[in-house]
Amino acid sequence: MKRLAGLPTLRVNSARAVSIEYDGKRFHGVEGDTVATLLYANGTRIFSRSLKYHRPRGLYSLDGQSSNTYVDVDDIPNVCAENTFVGNGMRVEPQNVLGTPEHDWMAFMDKLSWAMPAGFYYTIFHKPARLWPIAVRHIRKTAGLGSLSPDVELRGRFDQIYPAADVCIIGAGPAGMSAALAAAAQKLRVILLESRPWLGGYFDYRTRNHKPGMPLYLRGRQLADQLEQAPNIRIFKHTAVIGCYSNNLITAFQRGSEADCFAERYVQIRAESVVVATGCIERPLLFENNDRPGIMQIGCAHRLARTWGVLAGEQAVFSIGHDLGIEAAIDLHDLGLSIACVADVREDGCDPALPPQLEARNIPFYPGWVAAKAHGRKVLKKVTLTNLSGVCKQQFDCDTLVASAGLTPVTGPLALAGARLEYDAHTGYFLPTGIPQKMHAAGRMLGLEDPTAIELSGRLAGLRAVADCGMAVGATISGVEEELAKLPGPARGSKFVVAPVEGKKTFVCFDEDVTIQNIDQAMRLGFDVTELIKRFTSAGTGPGQGGIAGHNLPLYVALTHRSPDLHPRPTTVRPPLVPTLLATYAGTNHPMSKRTPVHASQVAAGGVMERLQPWQRARRFCADTTARAEIENVRTNVGMLDASTLGKFRIFGPDALKALQRVYVSDMARVSTGRMYYSAMCNEDGCVIDDGVATQIAENDYYFTTSTGRAGETSEWIRYHTRYDRWDFHIINLTDAYGVINLAGPNARKVLEKVVDGAVSNEAFPFLGFREFMVHGAIPVRAMRLGFVGELSFELHVPSSYMQSLWDILEEAGEEFAIWNFGLEAQNTLRLEKGHVILGSESEQRTTLHDIGLGFFWHRDKLEAQTVGAVALKQTENDTSRLKLVGFKMEEPAARAPRDGSPIVAERIRGYVCTARYSYALKEPVGMALVEGYLAKNATRLTIFEDDCKGELMKAKVVPMPFYDPTGKRMRM
Amino acid sequence: MLGRGKRLWSRSKRLKSSYDAVIIGGGLHGLATAYFLATRHGMNHVAVVEKRYIGFGGAGRNTAIVRANQRTQENLPLYKEALELWPVLTQELDFNLMFYNCGNLNLAHSEAALKAMRLQVASAQFHGIDSRLIDPKECKELVPALDVSDRLRYPIYGGMYHPPGGIVRHDAVVWGLASGASQKGVDIIQGVAVTGIGVQGGRITSVETDHGTITTPRVLNAAGAYAAAISCEMLGMRLPISVLTIQAMVTQPLKPILHHVISSGTYHCYANQTLKGEVATGAHMDPWPNYTTQCTAHYIKHQAEALTQLLPCLKGVKFMRAWAGLADMTPDMAPIIDGNDPVRGYYLDCGWGYFGFKSCVVTGKYLADFMASGVCPQILRPFTGRRFEQHRLMGETPALVHYSPDN
Repeated sequence: MKRLAGLPTLRVNSARAVSIEYDGKRFHGVEGDTVATLLYANGTRIFSRSLKYHRPRGLYSLDGQSSNTYVDVDDIPNVCAENTFVGNGMRVEPQNVLGTPEHDWMAFMDKLSWAMPAGFYYTIFHKPARLWPIAVRHIRKTAGLGSLSPDVELRGRFDQIYPAADVCIIGAGPAGMSAALAAAAQKLRVILLESRPWLGGYFDYRTRNHKPGMPLYLRGRQLADQLEQAPNIRIFKHTAVIGCYSNNLITAFQRGSEADCFAERYVQIRAESVVVATGCIERPLLFENNDRPGIMQIGCAHRLARTWGVLAGEQAVFSIGHDLGIEAAIDLHDLGLSIACVADVREDGCDPALPPQLEARNIPFYPGWVAAKAHGRKVLKKVTLTNLSGVCKQQFDCDTLVASAGLTPVTGPLALAGARLEYDAHTGYFLPTGIPQKMHAAGRMLGLEDPTAIELSGRLAGLRAVADCGMAVGATISGVEEELAKLPGPARGSKFVVAPVEGKKTFVCFDEDVTIQNIDQAMRLGFDVTELIKRFTSAGTGPGQGGIAGHNLPLYVALTHRSPDLHPRPTTVRPPLVPTLLATYAGTNHPMSKRTPVHASQVAAGGVMERLQPWQRARRFCADTTARAEIENVRTNVGMLDASTLGKFRIFGPDALKALQRVYVSDMARVSTGRMYYSAMCNEDGCVIDDGVATQIAENDYYFTTSTGRAGETSEWIRYHTRYDRWDFHIINLTDAYGVINLAGPNARKVLEKVVDGAVSNEAFPFLGFREFMVHGAIPVRAMRLGFVGELSFELHVPSSYMQSLWDILEEAGEEFAIWNFGLEAQNTLRLEKGHVILGSESEQRTTLHDIGLGFFWHRDKLEAQTVGAVALKQTENDTSRLKLVGFKMEEPAARAPRDGSPIVAERIRGYVCTARYSYALKEPVGMALVEGYLAKNATRLTIFEDDCKGELMKAKVVPMPFYDPTGKRMRM
Repeated sequence: MLGRGKRLWSRSKRLKSSYDAVIIGGGLHGLATAYFLATRHGMNHVAVVEKRYIGFGGAGRNTAIVRANQRTQENLPLYKEALELWPVLTQELDFNLMFYNCGNLNLAHSEAALKAMRLQVASAQFHGIDSRLIDPKECKELVPALDVSDRLRYPIYGGMYHPPGGIVRHDAVVWGLASGASQKGVDIIQGVAVTGIGVQGGRITSVETDHGTITTPRVLNAAGAYAAAISCEMLGMRLPISVLTIQAMVTQPLKPILHHVISSGTYHCYANQTLKGEVATGAHMDPWPNYTTQCTAHYIKHQAEALTQLLPCLKGVKFMRAWAGLADMTPDMAPIIDGNDPVRGYYLDCGWGYFGFKSCVVTGKYLADFMASGVCPQILRPFTGRRFEQHRLMGETPALVHYSPDN
């Protein structure tokens, strides 16, 4: 097809050719083409087949309002051809067809529409019941548009930015551009978002005069130039706004051009004030076969010619409801399109200057007429026009029908931000009311049509946004308001809903193949709320996101109700306003985790790393999953564990002790210098949430540890539970500031004494002692003698920056003993043998301190502390029916350990195995379980029901804990 | 056939002056209870009073997942029966609830999660429910799109596969139950708000609405997220319920690619492909209590991050629509079902959090027993609200949860 050349409005570069592969054939176009315009210029009329009826669908809006032109591009489905620029070598495929879009073997579905009334799937397929599973398979296959391969990889980089602005303007049409200029003139930081690849909005392609000698497109470019030159305006082109949230949080995504380093990027803006100047889209005209390829909206035909140099066809009929349609007819006629006639649904009210121009071109004008039916089996061949009563009819041959009922404002951003949409009888629009503070609407979306008024309303909104930013522009605002009042206000809009149609294929929603007949059916069934009709018929729930159905559906429902008090009520707008790639939302997302200061050396030592909450930790350092060698090394020699993930806190200030008393169950006044004190925290239900040790560093200054899992929440927990007390204390989370090495095993002392400057003998540094040492005179170490793994052990806390050095020093000092790492698996067995609990492992949400046998921690006499959980601890103290923690061994010592998590049963479930391992020290399996109170007595038989056990139950018996070294002399060595 | 269409439920907005029972809330639980009262107990002089329209709340905002692999023995039999009810009700209502029995795969991302799942799996098996632990390779075979490599932030250690689960068309359940109840004479009254509950001598006497007073000896509070507020404001009964916003979203429709419901607690993410082809996904709640149904910018981004890690091919798919609903959370993530305590004739069915959909019909069935006889069926007894006074949490969630009503 020959392209129009030399038009000043063109946005393509005819000098540079591009090509794509479509349906196996190569097609050529010019730089600046979208996939849709390139294919259209090459004669493609049928772009896809519809979801349900497989009806042929073509180019309709050129703004992505429906799935009509969805194609598969380079194996990515559901790509809208209308706003995807052609890249050389693109491979484009049609979707949802069996065959080609022209010849679709599924086209017979259209003939079966009688069998598919609204919600038909609720009434068939279930009788007989065995039909349904078969039907499901077929429904799934026929549903869905594009197909995606499970191993497809989306190419391109996806980025994200979070800019802030004083004023954010959505839409760079005349109003938005004027608003931006007004705000920028006050030296504010302005962000301007435009969904199209260039600025100008609906001025951009129109040659009608703005002022004498100044066509609209030139005026648009003039404004755009001013914007581009303003240093404080940040312009995002080809950027679709997808969300508006409280307090002016705007989200959008930008498509990258070839020069950009991103394919798409997520843009999230926080602005002091927001101007919405999103203009209007066209409201589809409802008539029989209104979806035939060849039927398109005014802007589509006009922009196709003016922006891309493609004439929509040879012979056109216009059936429109707005002056823009008449203007387009005149312009397209002058560009070479033959126009059979222009029908205007309005009987009066058009701009009186326009009909004479039609007449001068011998284009018949039919006010009060409308398209009633489109003919043509696959593409448009002719159209029947009728007057509004449907009495007079006339047919016209044509290959193009420009059809549009009127305009409808793009209110999505305002609705998402919380504005209500109310039907306005004058404009026929759903106009926003109750717009949130510091948010303004401007331009065409308010019903304005006069270009000067539109620009001025933009300027006014821009100034109001300036005022929101605290600048005194009140006088200027009043001036502009007065000026605007002199200009034409909102124009009367077409309220036309549906042509007098007879057939059954008048589509309210293209994406979901919903006809007005389907709406009638839904209403007969009792669905009288628009929202429910939408759900029942799925009108407006397709990829076009209500762009086609959004306005007509509520109008049609209100019209059909014939109830004067029933105002048309639009359905809820939902984000994202434009379909957005998950890749774009995910942005630069990549796997992140926290590493301990000795991560690298742990990995180098062969550590099998695993994710533990935010951390990477070594599970073991050997191939044996039970970590036997590591366990035995700790029991008989000396090992080192990287325990840096422990929560570590300093709390200080005059009321620090009070705060500790509040959250810990023990009497924390007993915490003293030089000694470690073990205690636990509970929640209000007495359920144990954390355990750890504390010591006093100086007066009113404490250091304490929490479990890894609680490290992130502890500060907040303490602040929350002291929030009404006005206590004077500070809490610092030192978790990341300190690394921790647990040096454990009978030879631990021999290693440590080689490197520290203080005495570490059992007398000088006894069990549960706390000392501060220097290692090699340079590294400050906080050492505590604890016994989690049940051997002599020193927990060394060291500033993170020294952690690797200390590790290396200890490793070197321990070389003569063959010191070795141990990991979490070894620690787990070691502590299990000692009967030490890990919260979350030996406890669950409902487990109290009493249940795990740690009730003795609770000091009931510190009433004044109002300890969190104390009331519940008192109330549950003697409750014997709860799950209690017990130790068990297998009845047959030769049996293997049951798997963690296996239920313990006796007619019903009575508890479960928390942790069970084979104990190399005891040469038999040992475990801990939470069981109902009556099973907790010593020597009680426990029956264990493992998953997939096929009725073979395991038998264990309750035994006292600890299993290993019951007197604890090894850790006190 | 629907096309020729009789109304599915009566139009009447006019309230009668008295009913045998008034149900507050035209959601799934209220409609189900009304249906079973009318069909199983012949109690059809019942009004379902709905402030907006039926299915406005959680009923229309959930992601339609059904399963019976709960954690505790108090819950397992209830959900097991619920799963068995979908096909039965489809026939009984003559309305296709579209139970798509695709099975659920819940992913574990740590040893600890596997252990937690083992308890769940073995408990389910003990109750005769099909549920099994599978390894990453088997997960990949079930869901070829899944990334089981160690590139993930939280690599997959295995999964809990539960074949009897699936999805049910949530709207169909609302409409089917409403239609079934209406045919039996239940009045479904939309657009009427309950404004008060009358009590005399410790007994329910009436319900006040903005359209007049109804005399009734029985009231069921099945108002979902608003149930706790109704209890508190109208009867002075405080319930340990926090209401939080929970969001969900769908992608554009695709040809079949996900053949199971998949979920991951660690990623706070679940996804399934609807019969229409959209991938529906959602998961965790906003971290603070609130009654708005607003979506947040953070959440949809989080969801994309999570989903594209688990299922990298979905990077090339577009989100099309997000929405939010309210979850009424109790401290132990199990509901409060109670009756005649302390007010005779006052029944409560709330605190379902995000389990309200999968449980609706079975709860309705037993609640109808409860309301008709005045005696709480054995299966509902563990759900009494008194358990919180005794610090006896249900244990339905292994992990600790913090959302106190005042935070």
